[in-house]
Amino acid sequence: MTPAAKGRATAAASDEAGVATPEPARTSAAEPAYEASAEDETPPTYAQDLREAAVELWRFREMLYQLTLRDVRIRYKQAVIGFGWALLMPALVVISGCLVRYAMSRTTRTPLDLAGIASISVKALPWSFFVGTISFATQSLTGNLQLVSKVYFPRAVLPLAATLGQAFDAIIGAVVLALVLPFLGVHLSTALLWVPVLTLLLFLLTVAASLFLSCANLFFRDVKYIVQVMLTFGIFFTPVFFDPAMMGHRLARLIMLNPLSPLLEGLRLAVVEQHNLLLPLVASDGAVIWSPAYLVYATLWALLGLGASAMIFHRSEFVFAEYI
Amino acid sequence: MSDGSVSFRRVWKKFRYGEVHNSLRDLLPALGRRLIRSGAPPAQNLHSGDFWALRDVSFEVRPGEALGIIGPNGAGKSTVLKLLTRIVRPTRGGCTVRGRIGALIELSAGFHPDLTGRENIFLQGSIMGMHRGEIARKFDEIVDFAGIPDFIDTPVKRYSSGMHARLGFAIAAHLDPDVLIIDEVLAVGDAAFQQKAFGRIAEMRTQAVPLVVVSHQLDRIAQLCTKAILLNRGRVVHSGTPRETIAAYVGTTSSTADAITGDSATRIASMFVNGPAEVPSGGVITVMISGTVRPHWTGTRESVMLRVASVETGTTVFSTDTALSGIALPFGGAFTLEVELQLNVPANVYTIQSLVMDTLTSREVFPGPSAQVNVGEGIAFVGSVQMNPRLRMREGDGAAAPSDDTAPVV
Repeated sequence: MTPAAKGRATAAASDEAGVATPEPARTSAAEPAYEASAEDETPPTYAQDLREAAVELWRFREMLYQLTLRDVRIRYKQAVIGFGWALLMPALVVISGCLVRYAMSRTTRTPLDLAGIASISVKALPWSFFVGTISFATQSLTGNLQLVSKVYFPRAVLPLAATLGQAFDAIIGAVVLALVLPFLGVHLSTALLWVPVLTLLLFLLTVAASLFLSCANLFFRDVKYIVQVMLTFGIFFTPVFFDPAMMGHRLARLIMLNPLSPLLEGLRLAVVEQHNLLLPLVASDGAVIWSPAYLVYATLWALLGLGASAMIFHRSEFVFAEYI
Repeated sequence: MSDGSVSFRRVWKKFRYGEVHNSLRDLLPALGRRLIRSGAPPAQNLHSGDFWALRDVSFEVRPGEALGIIGPNGAGKSTVLKLLTRIVRPTRGGCTVRGRIGALIELSAGFHPDLTGRENIFLQGSIMGMHRGEIARKFDEIVDFAGIPDFIDTPVKRYSSGMHARLGFAIAAHLDPDVLIIDEVLAVGDAAFQQKAFGRIAEMRTQAVPLVVVSHQLDRIAQLCTKAILLNRGRVVHSGTPRETIAAYVGTTSSTADAITGDSATRIASMFVNGPAEVPSGGVITVMISGTVRPHWTGTRESVMLRVASVETGTTVFSTDTALSGIALPFGGAFTLEVELQLNVPANVYTIQSLVMDTLTSREVFPGPSAQVNVGEGIAFVGSVQMNPRLRMREGDGAAAPSDDTAPVV
């Protein structure tokens, strides 16, 4: 609660007590003066810009909450399957994965076991979160043309609300997954502590991509088609249905260059194989399945990606209304 | 008492004509440049395809003041509001806004048709920068003001367009802004609601909230504002009191009217209005019209006409001419026509236009000069004609009986 909000709350309380109070304190104290000048002395540094973006976003956190609520409400209002929506996408990914793996198992004569199904399930959920978020977020700015061209607010609220709306679905999916996994042979271990870390990294990476793509799509309208194509075929370049190790030494390393790969692989190893991600994991044939360097690589992508896209977004948001 | 304020210091704003390149080919270089360069707007020179939407516009609005912005379409009025509401940034110059901005622009931009009125109040309120607690506190007031208590849990897609607009206004009107910005939204809902909406704005004026209004309803500008600027093609061409500025605006528009290339025998050379700068309603002015009639003109087909029109609405409130008054024009030579007018009209700005009519065809054959007259408050009244009311009060028994000289009502 901001000091001004506190002030208002106490004013309202004394009102109830029957004390005549003047009108509630104005919010101007919390409202910084808006100053826009083309004759700025020195251009702001990256740190100043990021700080400014964060401050504005914090001021409009209520809008972020309401927009997320709007997206969630609309999806579940007047919908045939209601909250089943949250499970539909991941369930479809799991079923497709099982089909692919079943076909592979018939040719290689290695049966598809429960651990295999568990692996696909663990990776299907974050993948469908990522895909769902990117497709919604890419069009979040252009889809709210009226708001962007007529009303001021930090524009990042729109792609962020799309991300949070999808995160809500992912949480429902995660609860269901947690109930199902024990039946697929997964049991509790300390390695599960990696799950929140990897989830956070995935979230940051998704936010970074959402900000960048929504902004790019505002300036260049063909971005959304490219994104759709990438999302459709992305599943072949991301280890969801398969484990990179299945691809052989060389290809596995290439696959792991995809910033999503270490996160999905990390989740699989931590949940299904109970592997501590700080330790490398090498297969019996000498192939590297996991190295802590992957974790560093993914972390760098998430943090630097977020920093860069937040910067691009913030520095271009003041011309959104002119280009939209 | 508000502590908000607005200032514009030599603001220039450049826009582009037509389509901007937006294919992916340009994406990476553009974003790369954006990343390297600071947030300051790019090149400040005018390239082909660019135009200045605003040129060197300065003004200031302090607590208690209200600025009206008028001008023809495309003059840059909306650009000023977009700069004030932080939607775009100036190309040159600076603008400062202190305090929370309440913008009565696009009042229902955030509404979602599938959400109920209640849900939309919270959504729209948050977009305008209010917090949940604040909205919850004002919730009943908002619903009451919009007059939709029975429909508050109905999705807004089932609202009539009037209900939709009223709800939007009601939310914005309860923002408690430090600075209020209004763009042509005074025409929301029916007459009763418009009155209520106007009352709400007037109430904020009494709290000294600085106000910026853009409107084509010039009477609203005259009523609400303490000063006004006239924009034309991005420049401030006049600034002063609302009445003066409105008069300047109407002057520029009427002078552009096409001249009628008639071959009339009668020509009007000049017109003067004798009277105070601001005539009180009911006051008298004298208009002197001088002209010439072609020598040896024997016809009586032409007539000199005087037409008084309201500046706001453009409607003619009064007209008279020499033929109608039974005055003949001279058979050739110079003349001066003196017209005495009693301005029994509401306070406003009026145009007095002189012209020559062909009485046979009722066509205007020669446009004469025109002038503006500023009518101020005289006798207080409501309506469109000032009827010189004389009110007498009789008390006691005789009150009910009509006096002898009163004609019976048939």
